[in-house]
Amino acid sequence: MMAYAVALPLVAAFLLPVLHNASRWLGILVGPAALVAVLLVVFQSWQPAVLPFAMDLGGFAPPWGITFYVDALALLFCGAVALMTLLLWPRDEGDGDADALVRRRSLTLLLAAAAAGLALSGDLFNIYVFYELAAVASYGLAAERGTPAAYAAAFRYLMLSALGSVIALAGIAIIYFETGTLNLAHLSLLAGELQGPTGMAAFLCLLVGFGVKAELFPVNAWVPEVYGVTTRRTAGLLAGLVSKLAVLVLVRLLVLVFPQEGLRDALLLLGVLGLIGGELAAWKARDMTRMLAFSSIGQLGLVFVAFSLPGTAGLVAGIVVAVHHMVLKPGLFLLAGQWGGGLRGLAGAARRAPLAGLLFVLFALSLVGLPPLPGFWAKFLVLTGLAGQGGGLGWLAMVAILVATVLEVSYLFRLAGRLYSRGDDEVPAAATGGGTVTAGVFGALVVAAVVFAPALWDEVQDMGAGAGDAALYVRTVGPMVPTMISGGAP
Amino acid sequence: MPRFATVLFLAGFAFLLFSLTLTLGFGEPPMRAGQGVLDQAVAGTGAANAVSAVLLGFRGLDTLGELSILFAAATAGGLVLGHRRPGGDGPPAGAILQAGTRLLFPLMLVVGFYIVLHGHLTPGGGFQGGVILAAAFFLPVLAGTGAGPDHALLRVVEGLAGTVFILIGLAALWTGGVFLEPLLVDRGALHELFSAGTLPLLYLAVGLKVGAELAGLLAHMARAGGGEA
Repeated sequence: MMAYAVALPLVAAFLLPVLHNASRWLGILVGPAALVAVLLVVFQSWQPAVLPFAMDLGGFAPPWGITFYVDALALLFCGAVALMTLLLWPRDEGDGDADALVRRRSLTLLLAAAAAGLALSGDLFNIYVFYELAAVASYGLAAERGTPAAYAAAFRYLMLSALGSVIALAGIAIIYFETGTLNLAHLSLLAGELQGPTGMAAFLCLLVGFGVKAELFPVNAWVPEVYGVTTRRTAGLLAGLVSKLAVLVLVRLLVLVFPQEGLRDALLLLGVLGLIGGELAAWKARDMTRMLAFSSIGQLGLVFVAFSLPGTAGLVAGIVVAVHHMVLKPGLFLLAGQWGGGLRGLAGAARRAPLAGLLFVLFALSLVGLPPLPGFWAKFLVLTGLAGQGGGLGWLAMVAILVATVLEVSYLFRLAGRLYSRGDDEVPAAATGGGTVTAGVFGALVVAAVVFAPALWDEVQDMGAGAGDAALYVRTVGPMVPTMISGGAP
Repeated sequence: MPRFATVLFLAGFAFLLFSLTLTLGFGEPPMRAGQGVLDQAVAGTGAANAVSAVLLGFRGLDTLGELSILFAAATAGGLVLGHRRPGGDGPPAGAILQAGTRLLFPLMLVVGFYIVLHGHLTPGGGFQGGVILAAAFFLPVLAGTGAGPDHALLRVVEGLAGTVFILIGLAALWTGGVFLEPLLVDRGALHELFSAGTLPLLYLAVGLKVGAELAGLLAHMARAGGGEA
């Protein structure tokens, strides 16, 4: 069943240009219809009794064919992919270019299919294929505006991302060369062979390669540039969704194949650097989109810090931080799309659009971490986890998170104050409509998280425990032939 | 200063790759999963060409992913190149070039389809054959004798070919199997054209899609280049 999560968006993407020529309404409906169908499939599969389960695609047994591993975490991300793509579905920008709109929608569907594949796949090379699909689709979306600035940004993004892909592929090649397999469950059994420096190098290659999309510290220079030139919906999709899927892949690798301590420290260090660097740059930014882009880098840094914590606590913290950011950032980008541009022109904007202003304050409070809001729990979990772990690096990370929070308060509330100030400047650019409503949906999700916090907490605990259980993963994927485990090179 | 950083990065990266190369034992690959795949490839799918068996059977989802990447690249290319105005045509081709392209066109079609349809028997298959098909349709553009392939038609072909690939995969799901499971494996004998069940159909879909995708992309580039191509 879960194969539909990948197959349906792909079919819709392939057929969209054809159907659009045949009938205007079919062309409009086919994409959302496929995504709604994916949501239904996810809901239907969400039965705790049968989770987790694995699927051997093509009917070939685990180490030979490609495996899909379906657990609560994978389902959560599949559902999030469909829901977010629906909410951030590309709209007519009013430039009258119907062909371009169809192409943007096709690319968005391909992005959704790739993201679902990343969440489900249990095969290293298959993950790479879906990662490439997401990358190529996002190159197109980065250039969607068709301005010279968009082309320049998309080209630089393409260069950086392609370099990252090559490095990731090198990492996969090293792993295959060392172990002779690509299946994650099989690799988990063979993890002992990847303990040495070669295995560490392979993981670092994968970290840098997949880190490009995950906005990891040294390879995130594309972020502010690309988010500045795309539509806000695409920016929300890339920052909110695609980055989290890249993180999910890295987390699966950490749990299953690379349980070494040193690698977690590397992740923690890069996360702290991203957090501080991103928040400082956001604090200095003079443009709302750039501010949000840099803040996204900072938040992804926090996600990495959270996932670097060992055991279930780390996974739970990471999931909460990641999902929190996944809901907030698109909402904020949509609001930025309503107001647009430099901070100077925003004086008094919230007084003219009260609902949007209210939503901004809600998102800002949650991002900072005010107690009843989910952002508080996110930071609380990370901080308690770090305190429990201790160590010099742990304390450094705690200080970094507190400093980052102070910076967030500073720049977000400077902006909020400006939004509500009694501005006598000219009215900012007219709202493009629809953005506030969608942002309202994200706001409703934040409020719902507060209301249903106890139930969600139990769910996330189970999810984290299940995702952190490498033995469960291996058992679920199935028995490997014994010689597959002991037998090395012939 | 940036140049120094670049050199430093490249030197470090080269050193990393070099030292990794030293630790890897080339020439003695561990065949843990690979040996099993090799042993089952031909018998398990009925395709005489083991590479095709792996491509369409064992790693069919990867092939679908690759097709989608090509589609994404063509779509993104259309998005970027579609914004430019078509320029003037290049100088007209000479009589020899024009006659040559007319002569070549049917031959390339035959070769292309042959390679696509025999992908499960001999080296070749949908990707390679598809490129030849695309080149066949791009010939008139190169020689300046025609406008090249019709975009609406290409769209229909690429859309339907991709859909057919997925539908064949889903057909296995609907008949009680798993997504992308090869069907009708024992229909026909090994080494015959009609063998390997649904794999040749998958390759045909791959070939048509790759051909349509590349032809469309080439035509787009030729148009955007103002006839310089």
